[in-house]
Amino acid sequence: LEKDVLRSARPRARLGALALAAVPLVGVVELALHVKQTTVDVVPDSDWLDARDMVKAEAKPDDLVIFAPFWADPLGRRSFGDEVAGIKREARPDESRFARAFEVGIRGAHREELEGWKLVSTKQVGKIAISLYENPSPAKLHTDVLDLVGPESMTVTSSGPNGAEAPCPWQRGQGQPGGLGVPQGPAVPGDKFVCPSGGYVGAAVLHALDHHPHLCIFAVPPGPGGAVKMKFANVTFGNSLHGHSGVQWVNERTPSGERIQVAFSAFDRPIGQNAHRVGVGWTGFEFPTPELAGKKGDLVAEVSGSGPRAYCFEADTRDVAP
Amino acid sequence: VSDTIEKEKDEEETETETDPPSEPEKKPEKTKEEKKDDKPDFATRARAWIKENPDPFIGGGLAAVYVLWLLATARSLGFSRDEGFYFSAAGDYKRWFQMLVDSPSRAIERGPIDSIWANNHEHPSLMKSFFAISHMVFHDKWKIFEDDSTAFRFPGMMMMGLAIWVTYMFATKAYSRRAGVVAAIALGLMPRVFYHAHLACFDVPIMAMWATCIYVYWRSEKEGGLGWALTAGLVYGLTLETKHNAWMLPAVFLPHALVVHGQAISRHAARSSRIPVPTSLVAMATIGPAVFLLLWPWLWNDTLPRIQEYVNFHVHHEYYNIEFLGRTYFGPPSPKSYMPVMILATVPTITLLLFAVGAFDRVRALVERAAIALGEARGRRLAWPKVTPERDRTQTDLLVFLAIAVALGPFLLPRTPIFGGTKHWITAYPFIAIVAGRGFDLVWTQLEQLIANRTALDARKRFLAQGIVVLLSFGGALATTIHSHPFGLSVYVPFAGGTAGGADLGLNRQFWGFTTESLAPWLAENAKSGESFYFMDTAWPSWVRLIEEKRIPPTLRGVGSPADAELSIVHHEQHMNEVDYNIWTEYGKDAPAYVLTHDGVPIISLYKRSGPKPGFRSPRR
Repeated sequence: LEKDVLRSARPRARLGALALAAVPLVGVVELALHVKQTTVDVVPDSDWLDARDMVKAEAKPDDLVIFAPFWADPLGRRSFGDEVAGIKREARPDESRFARAFEVGIRGAHREELEGWKLVSTKQVGKIAISLYENPSPAKLHTDVLDLVGPESMTVTSSGPNGAEAPCPWQRGQGQPGGLGVPQGPAVPGDKFVCPSGGYVGAAVLHALDHHPHLCIFAVPPGPGGAVKMKFANVTFGNSLHGHSGVQWVNERTPSGERIQVAFSAFDRPIGQNAHRVGVGWTGFEFPTPELAGKKGDLVAEVSGSGPRAYCFEADTRDVAP
Repeated sequence: VSDTIEKEKDEEETETETDPPSEPEKKPEKTKEEKKDDKPDFATRARAWIKENPDPFIGGGLAAVYVLWLLATARSLGFSRDEGFYFSAAGDYKRWFQMLVDSPSRAIERGPIDSIWANNHEHPSLMKSFFAISHMVFHDKWKIFEDDSTAFRFPGMMMMGLAIWVTYMFATKAYSRRAGVVAAIALGLMPRVFYHAHLACFDVPIMAMWATCIYVYWRSEKEGGLGWALTAGLVYGLTLETKHNAWMLPAVFLPHALVVHGQAISRHAARSSRIPVPTSLVAMATIGPAVFLLLWPWLWNDTLPRIQEYVNFHVHHEYYNIEFLGRTYFGPPSPKSYMPVMILATVPTITLLLFAVGAFDRVRALVERAAIALGEARGRRLAWPKVTPERDRTQTDLLVFLAIAVALGPFLLPRTPIFGGTKHWITAYPFIAIVAGRGFDLVWTQLEQLIANRTALDARKRFLAQGIVVLLSFGGALATTIHSHPFGLSVYVPFAGGTAGGADLGLNRQFWGFTTESLAPWLAENAKSGESFYFMDTAWPSWVRLIEEKRIPPTLRGVGSPADAELSIVHHEQHMNEVDYNIWTEYGKDAPAYVLTHDGVPIISLYKRSGPKPGFRSPRR
């Protein structure tokens, strides 16, 4: 029996001995991987510039340009520049408005935002893959209220609990984009409507709960019973009013019962109201407006809440497929 | 009481020793004159002593090489946030030390103590005092270091030297000289350790003191005697004075002492109704706190409230943001997988594999010993193990595993903050390296057998072959460590995909804002004289030092907000995206003028304001 045990143990022991002796090879593989990762795997700047030239030649103004993985975004923005990868594209509310998307990807990465889109073509530029996708159901935009922010097409008033409205004049000044500590809170833009209650209305980029950027209109409600009212002039309506809302990530990450409402109306008739609950992150809303489709007029957005929270929203009028 | 333990130990040793010591041959006594003539001179005796005791010198050599490497690379590593605060504190403490020399009676008055030592009193004084004294001596007086920062950092580097030395000594004395060399190499070739070893901070110092304290305690258990025990007390005091991790050391010593002395304690307690305590533990419990109080002038007044404040600061420390697997954590519960995943992703895989080999061997030995002890207690031997393992009165393996477990264990608890990345459990690394050294011993034994089957190895060839195997094993770790500089916190091991792999996995890219200095070449070429520069996560004192030492163009004007800056940066961390987007709003554009990268991964984005400060314009598509 002892012999049998020894015989059966011997190959195992030999295998164990060989495995032990092979351990230094792991160090060799480690070195080989290191060399590969620090040389051939690194995407050179020239590839980024070549990719930019290719996308620039083919992209239309309404196409989305997106970089994958998300951590490569600064590299893409640096190489593609504001013209191709500007704030409107980068800090988009969502992808539904884009008919096509150029995904500029490295390391085989793919952005989940384009799941469900149709892959049309893929080209390789050095170590960068440029894939063209088509949106199966793009929305047709009529007016994006973000384009109306400013004194030419927008007026803002604020009201306290007694209902008396006070105008919030447009001011040009120095922004307050934060200091040396984090979290800083959202940047207060230099150009904004300043309300006598202390709040403001202005466009800035929100750092949302998903850590992605979203360009939106910050509107700070004056507190319980009060509201900030924004009137956007010459809005062309479609069959839907589509939008999103959120507050800065650092507030969203600690869910609370706090709610901030935005109520839309046009032609003195309500369109819909959305309540943003702090903690849900950047979320969308949509109100059907078939009765307004094709009309042109003022859109009113009224923001109210229980406290002076830096609430941010965006909205557009559009036609969506039924 | 403590002597009794020593006595019991001696009795025990006598019981176990089977070979009677051989009687030395008696030689005729020499006259006084003859003795004087025979006595070798000091140099000869020193040489002989070194030949007999080469290990402290081999360890010292390894440590010296490492410290020189740190010094050679210090200039290219920017200043972390915390370093800025410690530079400032050390600068203040320098004034006190000068006062102590010039006017000792004035220096120990409450006024000067409270005004000077209040700076950064949330951490003990030892390292900051060393930073201060090093600056006084090596910068101001002897002018060895041109940079103030190198003088401040030097004690931290020396602490890394101590860690290398102790790791070598421990592994050598516990296992073998080969294990010692490999352990020291394994510790030195951890990219994160290499980064932290440069800094005027406390993480590498506490790693060194944690290892030293355990080593001295182990030697006191091994050698016995009052000398080692008193040293253990002194070293524990210095460890307490280094960083609060020292509070956890009793969790290493007490269970170990209980296992080693358990029987003796119970025998003695049964006889005398008193519980004897090992001398080293008594020394640590008495001398340790005394040293802690004596070396920290801040505690000389209002002692108890200030100790209470110190304890409260660390017990209720705020949570900072840290990204792990794509999610930023900012409070409890901390993910249990954080520590194991980060170890796998940052400690070279060869080191972990050798650790696994060594740990398997040592755990088996521990279990075998436990089975033997159990059999003895039951009065009959168990069927396993068949071969009696080597007896280890000091339970070295147990001590080593306790040193690792106590350092790592808290990071499996949900309330332990994880914002420090790997540095908060860095105290485990010397012991992981020691076990890896043991693992290498086993690997080499197998390799040697395989080689011996094919060719004969003389001593020289054997030495050469070992060197080649060490080089093959640690070539990747060496290359990764060299390449990690000065982005030590961004780097992940090749099996985790390197720096880009870490970014793919959503692991933290950096913290402390130290990478600002790496913008220097771009700034030198592109920034205009007098331009204002928003330096984001870099602390003000760190920025001031960068400017004073001309590590970045000194013509730049540092400002605290992008609103005031022509150039603004963001250090890429997930939670700092906020800063990125705020700069977009302020500058009205999102394209950086420059992106500092490591292996193609963004570390810092630098934005340049176009024209005068316009504020944000609602952009048109």
